[in-house]
Parts: sequence; C-alpha cells; structure tokens
Amino acid sequence: MSGSDQELARDLGFLEAYTIGLGTMIGAGIFVLPSIAAEQAGPASMVSFFVGGIVSLLAALSLSELATGMPKAGGSYYYVNRALGPFFGSIVGWGMWSGLTFASAFYMIGFGQYLLPGLGQYVGFLAGWGELGITVAALVMAALLTGVNYYGVKETGSLQNVIVLTLVGLIVAFLSLGFISGPTIGEFNPNGWPTVAATVGTVYVTFIGFEVIATSAEEIKNPSRNLPLAMIASVVTPTLMYVGVMFISTGTLSIETLANSDIPVADVATEFMGPIGALAMIVGAVLATVSSANASILSAARVNFAMGRDRILVNWLNEVHERFRTPYRAITATGIITLVLIAIGVGIGTLAEVASFMYLVTYALVHVTVVVLRRADPEAYDPAFQIPSILYPIVPVVGMLACLAVLFQMSVEFVPFALSLGPVELTLPVTPTPVGAIGTVLVAFGIGWYYLYARDRALSESLVGEAIAPEPTAVANSGDHYRVVVPVANPETEQDLLRMAAASAHAHEDENAEVIAVNVIEVPRQTSLSQDLEFEEERVERQQKLLNSARDIAADLDIGLQTRAIVGRDAGSVILDVIEEENADHVLLGWQGTRSRREHVLGSTIDPVVGRASCDATLVKLGAEGERGAGDIMVLAGEGPHAPVAARRASEFVAAADDASLTLLNVQSPEADSEGGSSPTERGEAVIEELAERAGIQDMSYETEVRVAEDTEQTILDAAAGYDTVCVGATRSGAISQAVFGSLPETVGEEVDRTVVMARGPEESAMSVREALLRRLEV
Amino acid sequence: MPESLFRRVIVPVSNTDDAEATTDALAPYVTSAGGVVIAAHVIEKAGGALDKASVEQRERSADEIFEVVADGLANVDIEVETEYLYGTDVAETIIDAAHDLDASAIVFTPRGGSRWLKLLTGDVTTDLVNESDIPVIVLPDTHGGETDE
Repeated sequence: MSGSDQELARDLGFLEAYTIGLGTMIGAGIFVLPSIAAEQAGPASMVSFFVGGIVSLLAALSLSELATGMPKAGGSYYYVNRALGPFFGSIVGWGMWSGLTFASAFYMIGFGQYLLPGLGQYVGFLAGWGELGITVAALVMAALLTGVNYYGVKETGSLQNVIVLTLVGLIVAFLSLGFISGPTIGEFNPNGWPTVAATVGTVYVTFIGFEVIATSAEEIKNPSRNLPLAMIASVVTPTLMYVGVMFISTGTLSIETLANSDIPVADVATEFMGPIGALAMIVGAVLATVSSANASILSAARVNFAMGRDRILVNWLNEVHERFRTPYRAITATGIITLVLIAIGVGIGTLAEVASFMYLVTYALVHVTVVVLRRADPEAYDPAFQIPSILYPIVPVVGMLACLAVLFQMSVEFVPFALSLGPVELTLPVTPTPVGAIGTVLVAFGIGWYYLYARDRALSESLVGEAIAPEPTAVANSGDHYRVVVPVANPETEQDLLRMAAASAHAHEDENAEVIAVNVIEVPRQTSLSQDLEFEEERVERQQKLLNSARDIAADLDIGLQTRAIVGRDAGSVILDVIEEENADHVLLGWQGTRSRREHVLGSTIDPVVGRASCDATLVKLGAEGERGAGDIMVLAGEGPHAPVAARRASEFVAAADDASLTLLNVQSPEADSEGGSSPTERGEAVIEELAERAGIQDMSYETEVRVAEDTEQTILDAAAGYDTVCVGATRSGAISQAVFGSLPETVGEEVDRTVVMARGPEESAMSVREALLRRLEV
Repeated sequence: MPESLFRRVIVPVSNTDDAEATTDALAPYVTSAGGVVIAAHVIEKAGGALDKASVEQRERSADEIFEVVADGLANVDIEVETEYLYGTDVAETIIDAAHDLDASAIVFTPRGGSRWLKLLTGDVTTDLVNESDIPVIVLPDTHGGETDE
C-alpha cells in the first residue's frame, strides 16, 4: 500500500493512543487491586506498585524502539518471533494470548464485584446475590463483550476518550479529597520485603495495558513521536495514581477492612466523599473494567492474527467475518476461554497473577529482542525511536533482570518443598506457588506447541545467529557440477519429473550432479511480495509440501537436491533467473499437453523458459498410460537439429531404468530416392545410424524401426501408441515461428496419450534477436 | 449525448460473495461501455478507539475480495483498479472516494440483511442512496436468494 494510504489507515493520535493505553491500565486494576495488594503487603504495597511501574517503564522503552522499528499488528509477539525465532515466538504468542484472557477474566470478576455488592447498596435488586451472583454477572458481561466485538457493534473514539477522562477525573478527585482528609498510615511494612516483592507480581497485571498500544502500532499517526510518548505516559500516569490510591486507601481504612472489601476504592471514598462519591467510584469502576476487558479481547485477537500470519497458528482462526468484518473466530475463542476461566472459579488474585506472569515472561524476551535486533541489524529494522545511547544496553539488561526477579519472586515460596516420587524423596529448597505452576504449564504449552505444530510450519527464522556473528555468510561454492533445474508445481507429476531429471543428472556425473527443484508462488502485481507471501497460507503450505516431498524423492533416487522456494511476479522469469544463477546445464519442465491459447503457445511459464533458457531444455508431458520416462522408449529419429538431444535424453532414461528398451524410429516416404537406388527402409536405417553417432549412443543396444508411409505425422502418431515413452527433438529453427518446439513435436505431445518428451539442446538457442538484446540489457 | 454512467465506476465490495454477485451483474454493462472499474473496500476505523480487526488483517481480507473481482471481470476487456478506503462511516467514505477518484457512478448490488442486523451494523445501502451526490446505480443481484428481506 502506498504511503498516503498508510496515513489514512492511521487514525490514533497521541491522545487516542494514550487513552487506549490508560483505559486498559487504570481499568480494573485501580479499583480491584487495592484490596488484594493491601492484604498481602499493607501500606508497603505502594512500593510494589512503584516497582511495577519502573519494570514497565523499562519494558515500554524497549517496546517503543521495537514498535517504531517494525510497526506491525501483534506487538511484542511479533518482535520476539521475528528476532528470536518461532521457538520463543510460540512461547510469547501463547503467553500473551493466555495473559490477555486471564486478564479479561480478572477484569470481569472485578466488574461483577462492583456491579452487585457495589451498586447493590443503591439498587435493591442487585443486592444479596453473593459469590454466585458475581460470577454470573461476570459471565454475562464477558459474553456480551464477546458479542459486541463479534458483531462489530460500532464504538467510537470519542466514547473511549470520555470514559477515560471521566475515570482520570474521578481518581484525581479521590486523591485530592483523600489527601485533604489526612490519611494516617499504620505499620508501613507488616509482612516484610519479600512479600512486597511478590506483590509486584500480583499488581503487575495492571501494567500490561501499554502493550495494547504496541499491538496497534500500525494504527498510530506519526508513530515515531506518538508511540513512545503514549507508552511512557500511559505507564507513568497510572503508576503515580496507584501509589496515591494505595497511600490513601491504607491510610483511611484498616488493612482488614480493605482486605475484606469487594469494592475497596468505593469503601474508602465513602469515608471522605460520602455515599455520592462512593457511587461515582462504583460507576467509574464498572465502566473501567468493561473498557479494559474490551481492549484485552481485541488485543488477543490481534495476537492470534499475527501468529497466523507467521504460520505459528492456523489461519482458520483469523478469518474475517463476511458481513461483520471482524475476526470472529479469534474473538469467540478468546471469549470462550475467558468464560471458562470465570466459571471455574480460579480466584481473582490468581487470575491477575497468571496474567502478570505471562507478561513478565514476554517483556523479559522483549528486552533480549532489542539487543538481538540492534546487533543483527536486519534491513527492515529502522526504529524512529531508539533507547538513548546513554541508557543502552542498561535498559534492556536491567529490564530483563527485573522481569526475571519478579517472576522468580512470585513463582516460589521460600519454604522447603518435599516431593516424593515413589521411593525417591526430593527436597526442593523452595515451593512453587500456584501461579508459578500455572505459568510454567502455559510456557511449557508454548514450547510443546512449537515442537508439535509450529516448528515445521513457521516462516520466520531466528536472527540470533546474525546477532552473534553479523558477517554475511560466504556464498556456497558453485563448482562445475551438472545441474538440472526442475520447476515443480503439481504433487502428482513431481515424482516423475524429478526421476527423469535425476536420470539425466546421473548420466553425466555420478557423484556431484545435482537436481534443483524450484517452486514459484506467483503474486499479483497489486500486492507487495511479502504481504502476499504471509497471506497465502495455503499456497505456502503447498509449496513446502511439494519441496519436502521433492527431498524425499531425491533421497530415494540417491541424487543431490537443492530446493528453491521463491515468491515472484512471474514464474517464467524467476525460473530463468534460477537457471542463470545456478549456471544450470538443463531445465526440465512438465507440460499438461494443451496448446494454442491466445497469448501463449504451450503455457505462460513454459514459453519464456524454453524459448530463452541458454541450456538444454526438456518438456515432458506425462502420459495417461504406460510407464513414464521408462519402459519401452522410442526416439523419433529425424534429421532435425535437436534429434540427437532427444536421443540422448532417451538413452539417459534407459540407463536409469531397470528394465527399459530403446527404439529409434524413422519414417520415410515411399518415393524412390533421386540420388541412388536405395530403398526407403535403407535410407531410414542410414538416418538412424547417423543419429546414433551424433548422439553418441552408438554403443548402446537399441532397436530400429523404419516405417514407410505418405503421411509422416499420422504414421508417427500411430507408431507412438505402441511405446511407453516417446522422445522428440525440437524441429523449429527460425525464431519467428508460432511454435516453441515445432509443430510436429507439439502435435505429438498433444495427441499421443503416452509420455512425450520434447527436447532441445543449447547449441541453437531459440532466442529471437529482440529477446537476445533484451536479455543482454537485463544482465 | 451525456457521457456513459459506466465510464469510470466505483464499485464498493464488502465481501467475496458481494464481489461475485456485483461483478456478475456489472460485467455486461461495462463491457459495452468499455470503462474503468474501481473496486473499493472500506476498512472501517473506530476513529480513536481500537478497531475490531487490525488494519493489516482487513487489507488482506480486502485483497481476497479484489481477487474475486479481478476473476469475475477477467473476460471483460476493461481496466480494473483496486482501492482500500479507510473511514468510520462506510457510505460517506465511499462517496468521498468517488469524488477523489473522479468516478462517474457508484455501482453496487444490495446486500440484504435483517432490520436488526442493519441497526447493529449500519445500513450502507440506504445511506449511499440518500447521501450521494454522484449517480448511484443499484444492480439486481442475479444470483438471487442473497437478500432475505
């Protein structure tokens, strides 16, 4: 797409990007977490929030560099997969996706808590539903949000801005009035610093919101400026707010009251803002949890899309709905898992912690990615925002260590853990927490996914090697081996074509000959090459299947094989390039056996390749009956310039087959020769003998057959039916003719239902002057 | 004699079925007019909120639709152009693009859909007919059975 199009597609300015990030960040976290955090670490949980903010700020710096360098849908997943390869890509892709679903479930339970016990104080019928009611409310809202996004119900940016600005206003009011009321902090750190550190993990869920900015990097206007600014601002603002809210909450209510509250912020607000203030906070919380969950569901679908694009996930999931134009399957999948997580009662704290865990893993790898990309410096990577040189590599190194430290802290408890496996008693120095266990299982799932699914399909290769050794690798030595290029496109003909190519290669050189299987994915001109490659999953899968089976076939045939998977505008010119690059001696193509379309003779790919290749060219029409390129093989022994090439091909096939016979056939007209008195049969024998010598096969055993008839063409067609494979040399000599091989070979190819091999040699390249000039100019 | 309405038509296509139906209906008209067909797909933007699908995902989906248009018009000797359009209001975006691209008419086949769905997802047909200041040509859907009203 052109530059101006790209600008049109971008409709998020700084304010929008900031409010999207902020909306997710202050969403549920600020209203729900104070109770959980206060219970764990008391007033010192302020420090937990602050540390969480610092860890996020480091991640935001690294992520900003990556997002401005490669603004693509998918965020962290995309960068990690691109730089570290599909192994880590699978971990992060599944990690982010599961993190977002756990977070959605967390937000929804927070929604239930504020809706029922919260609003229940004011609205009679919402009161008294208990835990079950909260779960049901969470389920209903999650289903509703899934539906809204499935059906593509319109939301507008202005609504988003209003919600977020209202929330900010509410929290600022809460903070100001709270400060004025003079909160008094009791014992600052009742449970010790390790607990404070573990609490960082619990509250980190609130900081995953800025990732939403990265996952929609392609939609942000002027991303080099707006993206880093929005990310940093949407980390700093809520960090300050959280620290303030914790200060006021723990200073206003006792820790027990806070810990037992479902609606902590509203309960605190009651103390100094009265019931009206509390009601405002409850309404704010309801809006906030919904907006956070909504953003998470949409972000999760983007992660799915990005994974499908890299073929780490089936693209089936990423189909856009015909009418609603939404990624409905991905949204449904995310919605269903969210509903399950709510329904099985994982517990609001655990939901938050698992989401945090997955994102800490992600950000640890994001920091590594920055370093790898800077070292490998791939062409496409040109970040408009860079971590300032004074902070590099401090930011990624410290950031990664910080993520790992929090991960470790939240995953284990420092209590010896006895594990008995039958007779073996193991004592571990630490005990894994439920979060550590669930998180490890999810990471293991990502690894398992890589080995069972993604490894064979994924497109991206890791850049780690280039980061370690950035020098370009030496071009492989291309000696003087005999090389046969075989374009393959059809799994049904592939085997036969490769076998025939191998026969030709083997005849020249036993050890070093090579077959090069090429498959070209043609893309229309309107799309960019990379875009289409990623998109056409089926075509790429087919290509890989084709080339994989080519490898299997080559192993069976005991021939060296190279495979070339290429995406290009035009298969013909791509194949010609390959022939040139590989310095090939022979190109062997398959032909379906139909000709005379309007624009080309034998096919849009065949015409240019046969017409312009500077090496031997062979076109094979595989027969419906008889053995292909084997069995009883017949050569049309005419006087044409390429008949010896056809004879050579035939001899190669015979040599490679176990049980094949070779016949040279000549057709003579019954008229008497004007020069001498020899019979037509004698003349035919003489032609055959001469041909055998020209082809250098006079020492092989072959049969001869001479037919005498008026109608040469019909006789040949009749005779051909008695053989399995027919080899014909090209007859055309001029460059202007409408035929590629000549009308006789092409008629045989079209009419005979056996395998027909048309061959031409290099000595007379069939280029026209114009083509020759063009070629000269191209090179 | 006024110039042909089919001189340079902009053809909004919303999905592959739509593309197939529209090109089938359109082919005979443009064949005789020998004009240009601009196939356009609107990628809806939320205008400040998160879009339902990433832009790239929508563009790929648009490419599939354009392929159907190109196939449908392959046997007709006319020029086919394709355009991604971006906007929050589908009808307005199409009309603006028609002006920008100097289109002689906006041509489409009605997509049907229940009242309830139109309420949820917008009724582009009505908006186009009501709001356009460029000729709008509604061709019958020759496939039949597509409309459910």
